Amino acid sequence: MYSNPAFPKLPGEFSGKWNHKRYRVVRPLGQGANGAVYLAEQAGKKLAVKIGLDPLDLLMEVNMLKSVQQLPKQQIGPLLCDVDDLTIDGQNCTFYSMEYLEGERLDRYVARVGVEWVPVLAVQLLAHLHALHGQGWVFGDLKPENIMMMSANKQLRLVDFGGVTKMGNAVRQFTEEYDRGGWQAGDRRAEAAYDLFSVSVMMIRLMTNEARWKKVGHEKRTIQDLCDIIRENDNLYPYRAPLLKALYGKYPQAMMMKQELMAAIRQRNVTPPSKRGRSGSVASALLGGLFVASMLMLAGTLYHLWL
Amino acid sequence: MKEPTLRQILLVTDGCSNSGISPVAAATLAREQGITVNVIGVVERNEIGEQGIREIREIAEAGGGLSDIVYPAQLAQTVQMLTRKAMTRTIHQVVNKELKDILGDSALEQLTPEKRIQVAGMVDELGERSSMNVVMLVDTSASMKSKLPAVQQAIHDFSISLRSRSGRSQMAVCSFPGKHQHLDVRIPWTEQVEKAHQLTEGLTMSGLTPSGPAIVEAIALFEDVPMPTSLEDRYRHERTGKRDDEMDGYLEDHVF
Repeated sequence: MYSNPAFPKLPGEFSGKWNHKRYRVVRPLGQGANGAVYLAEQAGKKLAVKIGLDPLDLLMEVNMLKSVQQLPKQQIGPLLCDVDDLTIDGQNCTFYSMEYLEGERLDRYVARVGVEWVPVLAVQLLAHLHALHGQGWVFGDLKPENIMMMSANKQLRLVDFGGVTKMGNAVRQFTEEYDRGGWQAGDRRAEAAYDLFSVSVMMIRLMTNEARWKKVGHEKRTIQDLCDIIRENDNLYPYRAPLLKALYGKYPQAMMMKQELMAAIRQRNVTPPSKRGRSGSVASALLGGLFVASMLMLAGTLYHLWL
Repeated sequence: MKEPTLRQILLVTDGCSNSGISPVAAATLAREQGITVNVIGVVERNEIGEQGIREIREIAEAGGGLSDIVYPAQLAQTVQMLTRKAMTRTIHQVVNKELKDILGDSALEQLTPEKRIQVAGMVDELGERSSMNVVMLVDTSASMKSKLPAVQQAIHDFSISLRSRSGRSQMAVCSFPGKHQHLDVRIPWTEQVEKAHQLTEGLTMSGLTPSGPAIVEAIALFEDVPMPTSLEDRYRHERTGKRDDEMDGYLEDHVF
């Protein structure tokens, strides 16, 4: 509402003060927490240009983008192209340009191709996270809006590096809906398990319909709400083990969650999903019971976390 | 460079101050003593008028801090974002000043973007490791009643953020107007706020919103800031009381 900051408006054409690269703005692409992003052309190439109010926040993002780029094979985010200043209305503003990622936001993509894609996409995402974590960084602000499915090669890429945080520090930026602290499930210290918690919530969110999701956490968000959804959702239920383990912080590494998720996908392929009746059949009662039992066991092992 | 200690007052209110010293003057006073004042207006709908919006902005400007006006549901996240931004800004100013001393005026603008990226990294690192003391000042006048659950949630949430930092962090929570003075200390300085606390118990619901006097009294809670003798008498017991449990930093529910 009131809190939408007005970011400086880019002129139609401009050149950087230091590197003298000339940009022609094509159209606005959207806004992140730290700035506005535009599609622009520079030397005949399409680029995304980001400009923000606080040069410091922007420069920190550049810092992260640079660090992540040092990965040899795997492209996790956009490539950084240029960092420079320009003057808007007499004020010195900092901007940076990066590779323009042509694609679709993860939630829109899933809405189009179907929820059964979610576990597969999560596997790919976990590979990215594993690489990022290996470099000593945590993504932090993981949410569908910050993940793009590229049209060209059907690969996921992470965008908006404003939340990327050095392991051990406090997560710089997050969204409550996917934040471990917001679900009363732990603190905001950057560690692999922090991102994996977000992956789990995101999977649940993407596979749950809007009306059901809206019922969650009016007063306070708790993991119990998420467990309820997993239990009553036939699409999520086969993946309950990796989902719950991530929610309870049992994976110290993204690779472990990835492996167990892949195992669950394979398992689901060999045993066709049986329709679990909602009307109190013996089978569903049993499954429900088993679920409760496994939850209790998990809760038992995690008891110390609540103390 | 040595990590600085950051002091902040965070005022959570839903309207105009209507009693005592002007809150803008009080915020100026706080800033003079090295305390940044941030303000969050929390409103249900568009109940806040032009004047209220202006006052919130002016208090923050005078206090060298930041302000925002949000719905109760956005409060928790706003508290953590605003506090963090204000902290980074303060450190940036300190670093800027040091750079200016070395390099001369408008030093930072004359640095290439590459160099400034390094400065940004340094500011971020300093922010993470610095000590941070925050007093949350909650307006509990009658119109705030419906928003208090959200405030309570935000307090707990903020405590999670604070304890995730590497630097030493402390917070205190006060409500105003108080029973006998301008504010009541609801949670004395602590490193972790337990979930079970109740902000609503024993509140004096009144039509008064003495934001200015409350800010002045909140300044007195920062231990290394010298305070006027009149206030010292009033708060001495709180200061000495705090010392004992300061180290373990936990707070029992019976405080409320």
